[in-house]
Amino acid sequence: MDKAVKEVFNEGNLRANAAYQAAKRNITIDPITRLEGHGKVDIYLDEKGDVERAYMQVPELRGFEVFSLGRPAEDMPQITSRICGVCPTAHHMASTKCLDDLYHTQPTSAGRKIRELVYNTFVLEDHALHVFVLGGPDFIVGPEAPPAERNIVGVIGKVGLEAGKKVINTRKRLRELIAYFGGKVVHPVLGLPGGVSKRLKPEDRPKFQELAKDGVEFAEWSNAVLKDVLLKNEDYVAMIKSEAFTHQTCYMGMVDDQNRVNFYDGKLRVVDCTGKEVCKFTAQQYRDFVSEHVEPWSYMKFTFLKDRGWQDFAEGPDSSIYAVGPLARLNAADGMATPKAQAAYDEFYQVLGGKPVHHTLATHWARVIEMIYAAERIEQLINDPEITSEAIREVPTKTPTEGMGVVEAPRGTLFHHYQTDERGVISMANMIVATGNNAARIAMSVERAAKGLIKGGHVTEGLLNKVEMAFRAYDPCLGCATHSLPGHLPLTVNIFNHRRELYRQLRQG
Amino acid sequence: MNSAAIPAATTSVMSGSPLPFQGDPASRTLVLGLGNDILSDDAVGLLVARELQGRLPVADAARCDVVEVCEMGLALLDVIVGYRDLIIVDSIQTGRAAPGTLHEFQGEQIETRRVASPHFLGVGETLALGRLLGLAMPETVRILAIEVADPFTLGTKLTPAVAAATRTAVSRLKSWLLPRRGPFRAAHERLA
Repeated sequence: MDKAVKEVFNEGNLRANAAYQAAKRNITIDPITRLEGHGKVDIYLDEKGDVERAYMQVPELRGFEVFSLGRPAEDMPQITSRICGVCPTAHHMASTKCLDDLYHTQPTSAGRKIRELVYNTFVLEDHALHVFVLGGPDFIVGPEAPPAERNIVGVIGKVGLEAGKKVINTRKRLRELIAYFGGKVVHPVLGLPGGVSKRLKPEDRPKFQELAKDGVEFAEWSNAVLKDVLLKNEDYVAMIKSEAFTHQTCYMGMVDDQNRVNFYDGKLRVVDCTGKEVCKFTAQQYRDFVSEHVEPWSYMKFTFLKDRGWQDFAEGPDSSIYAVGPLARLNAADGMATPKAQAAYDEFYQVLGGKPVHHTLATHWARVIEMIYAAERIEQLINDPEITSEAIREVPTKTPTEGMGVVEAPRGTLFHHYQTDERGVISMANMIVATGNNAARIAMSVERAAKGLIKGGHVTEGLLNKVEMAFRAYDPCLGCATHSLPGHLPLTVNIFNHRRELYRQLRQG
Repeated sequence: MNSAAIPAATTSVMSGSPLPFQGDPASRTLVLGLGNDILSDDAVGLLVARELQGRLPVADAARCDVVEVCEMGLALLDVIVGYRDLIIVDSIQTGRAAPGTLHEFQGEQIETRRVASPHFLGVGETLALGRLLGLAMPETVRILAIEVADPFTLGTKLTPAVAAATRTAVSRLKSWLLPRRGPFRAAHERLA
């Protein structure tokens, strides 16, 4: 960031903070809150009292590069997986792939399959958690239901206790598979440059084959639950399709050589809002295609398509803003690599009126379609004769230099990039997380909600709910963007007048 | 419940009391340290748990397991099943108290709060879910939270005020673990 921009930002931030402190009143503290104040939306009004700019602010990680400098590169899959308690396996895998590249090696065929098996298991587990416990309850229980019921307990009330047990048990068994290979779920120790650290013993395979079979059934059942809820309720469909939750941007997702969704490996493909391919590139080329923009009013970095240049938060066929995540992946691909997921994919686009789908709230359904793919892929891999091979690693022999690795984290594309000296000691480390990739589109959604509900300084009731829905739809991994464990999210909306003085503050949580 | 029963999902399991537990497993207490060990002050819950483990008198160690966990929400379900009393030690950032301040929560304060977060299942909800599923959930829950200054910088050192508070926090936990001498008796009362 250049010096002038920093000065403008610092000065503005100081003033905003002073005003904020002066106006702070009766803040409710939840005893369960770990880190308070994550969901902060700042809205800036112009002289007429209309919205000039609104954005969501997320506390930023500090010190990742400093912490990494001087450490052996092979520690990075462990370090980066500890940054976030929500998707440790995604960081672990992106980092492991980064080490392959750094050491100029490739995993053995069996090593690669084990990685992909574990990775798809993680995606299935994480998506299931989201569908039934975190974001999905809004839909399964109902967006109008009191917040106290929009949780897993409410879901069980709706789908039944046996179904609830199915969710919890399946998740537990999936985590057992991850723990089998990674030692533990939250800080796995599986990935090594050139392969993995543990093989699958033939005698342990049957229980995972059983799990895979159940996993496919579980994913299809999840799809049926969601479809039943969504499609039988016209209000939901109308809400999904409403203007407030629709943005015409580009979409990025990883695809295999037939342009089908892949979470673990492939090229990154970007399509525009008409579905036309804009570019396709490897992890190693990411800096040629993706750039980061900084606005003076926020310390968030907004990624955009480099070729198209930063064009503000503009929508349409020339937009340089792209989204990532389940909906973006489905939009950026030509289809799914497994039959049941492909059938669900076809139905998705048929019901929602063709490709691409621009309705952010459709992400919930897209996520379930990805669960089917993940489960089918697990089944393919666990039944692959090579999965029990002993050739799980190729020990690297070349001198390390620079590496880049990318995976599709549950919430979207995740890049890792390291440089080292000839001993493999880190001299540069960078990453772009899913929420960073989505930051621009999240800002657009929050701004649209705010513009619709604030006119001439008058704030309409329901602003908080609407703003919250606008960003919750993206499942912004605040834990990841902040690089801390996720906490309670009491949404705070600060509204500043044209003199940047705090005009109103609204809280919910 | 002995340490072997702690699922693999937990990390740095610090249980393993020096004496084998000989009473009724359901009567046991779990002290759960939460946090992220490479995010400066965010690690304080883990560090307090670790220090407590080292300073527990043998008699207390036999009655209680001390576990460090870097996960949140639903993942805690697996860890807390089977314990009668649960004590959570964690970081908190209210912004209204000086770093190092200790906050205590129990009973209704925990049970009745609902959390509207996209990522987080609150302790109250986790307990409700566990009961709904017919799992043996703790009867009492207390939380000791330490006000932190910096949970956002990658690093393995606590800021001075938070580091200074760890000793007090350990003492507080020890007093909670004394059934007849401290306020822990209150924590045994079944929650409504």
